[in-house]
Amino acid sequence: MEIEVSFDLKVYSLDTLKKAAYRYINVFSINFDIQPKQVRCTLAFTDKSTPDQCKYYVDQFKKEVLDQDLRNTIKNETEPVRNLILAQAFSKTGLVDDE
Amino acid sequence: MSKFQGIEFYKKSDKKYHLLPFRFINLTEEKLLLTNLVGEYYLTDRKVLDDLVHHQLDRENLAYSNLRSRHFLYDEQTSIAKNLLKIKYRTKFNRLADFTSLHMFVVSLRCEHSCPYCQVSRQSDDKKKYDMSEEVASKSIDLTLRSPSKNIKIEFQGGESLLNFELIKYIVEEAKSRNVDKNLGFVIATNLAVVTQEILDYCLMHDIHISTSLDGPKSLHNKNRPRPGKNSYEKTIEGIQLTRDTLGFDKVNALMTTTEASLSMPKEIIDEYLLHNFSGIFLRPLSPYGFAIKTKKFNEYNASRWFEFYKQGLEYIIKLNKEGIRFREFYTSTILKKIFTLSDPGYVDLMSPAGIGIAAVVYNYDGNIFASDESRMLAEMGENKFKMGNVLHDTYKDIFLSDALLDPLEDSFALSVPMCNDCAFENYCGADPVYHYATTNDFVGRKPESDFCYRNMNAFKYIFNRMDSDKFVEDLFMSWSK
Repeated sequence: MEIEVSFDLKVYSLDTLKKAAYRYINVFSINFDIQPKQVRCTLAFTDKSTPDQCKYYVDQFKKEVLDQDLRNTIKNETEPVRNLILAQAFSKTGLVDDE
Repeated sequence: MSKFQGIEFYKKSDKKYHLLPFRFINLTEEKLLLTNLVGEYYLTDRKVLDDLVHHQLDRENLAYSNLRSRHFLYDEQTSIAKNLLKIKYRTKFNRLADFTSLHMFVVSLRCEHSCPYCQVSRQSDDKKKYDMSEEVASKSIDLTLRSPSKNIKIEFQGGESLLNFELIKYIVEEAKSRNVDKNLGFVIATNLAVVTQEILDYCLMHDIHISTSLDGPKSLHNKNRPRPGKNSYEKTIEGIQLTRDTLGFDKVNALMTTTEASLSMPKEIIDEYLLHNFSGIFLRPLSPYGFAIKTKKFNEYNASRWFEFYKQGLEYIIKLNKEGIRFREFYTSTILKKIFTLSDPGYVDLMSPAGIGIAAVVYNYDGNIFASDESRMLAEMGENKFKMGNVLHDTYKDIFLSDALLDPLEDSFALSVPMCNDCAFENYCGADPVYHYATTNDFVGRKPESDFCYRNMNAFKYIFNRMDSDKFVEDLFMSWSK
């Protein structure tokens, strides 16, 4: 069974969609069709999957996209401080400045 | 002038704060777990998470001060947070500088048991073929003592290690005489079937501990561990008693191997450990080496069945503790130690970078060196992917800088693995490249299809949910982390 879901590229990045899809690699395979303004995702389930199961996982996938988007926001904001902490944690050289 | 800031200082309505790195995961539909860079955690709901990330979290909200004190955010009052995180992070990985502390010597592959789940034992009278020689032992001791670790544990493995007790004596005495500045400890892993008073007297003299196998009640143990006379259970229990009488009560511990037959008997197995006054049990996951590895479905099926077994066992242990019987589950304790402290319990499966080679190393009877006991089992199945070298031909540098060790360590590092890198449990989990190679021919594997991931994710969620729903369990689990 195949189900199509579209996401607006102004709202979600392709990277976010890919990360969300990876989490369901054991449930469905996915094809990304990149349009100018949106990404069309075709989710292909195995023949054994029931319509209810497919619907459940499509909903889960959509929620996961939201979570991945939030993770991306956290990652973008915290990346500099994360790199600073990691660098200083393993450095005694004094070459890494705090600011 | 007051030494304290006035109340107005703490009432600042400025919402400006900065996020510190953290990850989150749903524990239930409503409840989320947030973990920071070093594994400190906070349970909350979706609204708090959204407000936090979008800088809308009010300072009057209790979550704000909790998240600030646990280093999920910092503001003008807590600029020290970055420095504290840095120190904690460094402490967390301090063990890496110590390098390999556990050195396992496979002194013989011979064994008088014929356990179907064992990948390594051999029924043979040919001592030369399957026993470690003094030459191999001597070279292995040299390598062991070159480890930068101050604390070295030498563990004797088999087969049945006591079948080559003369070599154990040689290794103990040689290691002690060559040792300059290490704290040496010795453990013999044995089924105790051939233990004697004379052997134990030697162990007493050299402070050698005993680690044995107890799979559960007599019927289960003897079914899992056949030997001539069909008396493995009786021999083990007698051996435990003799060891305790000679060495002291706490000088012997027991490990169980979970088999298909064990899965329906968690309560009976735990009762057996209680009967013999052990302080806890390690409800070990099923090993993927051997038959299970060849049939992936069998493997996946057992991951969920093991989890049910673990849950039932853990609930029974919690009930026992509520009744006043002190008893713990060691797999949970290991996880709890990683949740509540910055020190690593050193359990190879739950380490990232993986514990192979850098936390434990195996010197096989023939001189081959493997990155872990599981790597040795894999080699016995014909896969030498994790063979680091041979004590007779290779130098310390060749061995510990070999691609067989560095490639899996680098490739499996959880912070750079898809799905692990943004998993809220990453701080508590491990990389285990040997397991993933054994099951998928890849050091990383696909985590959604990995029963290692399934097993641990479920265990972590279960532990957090249980602590959140029952104060007694939270206090109990806190005590297990010590």
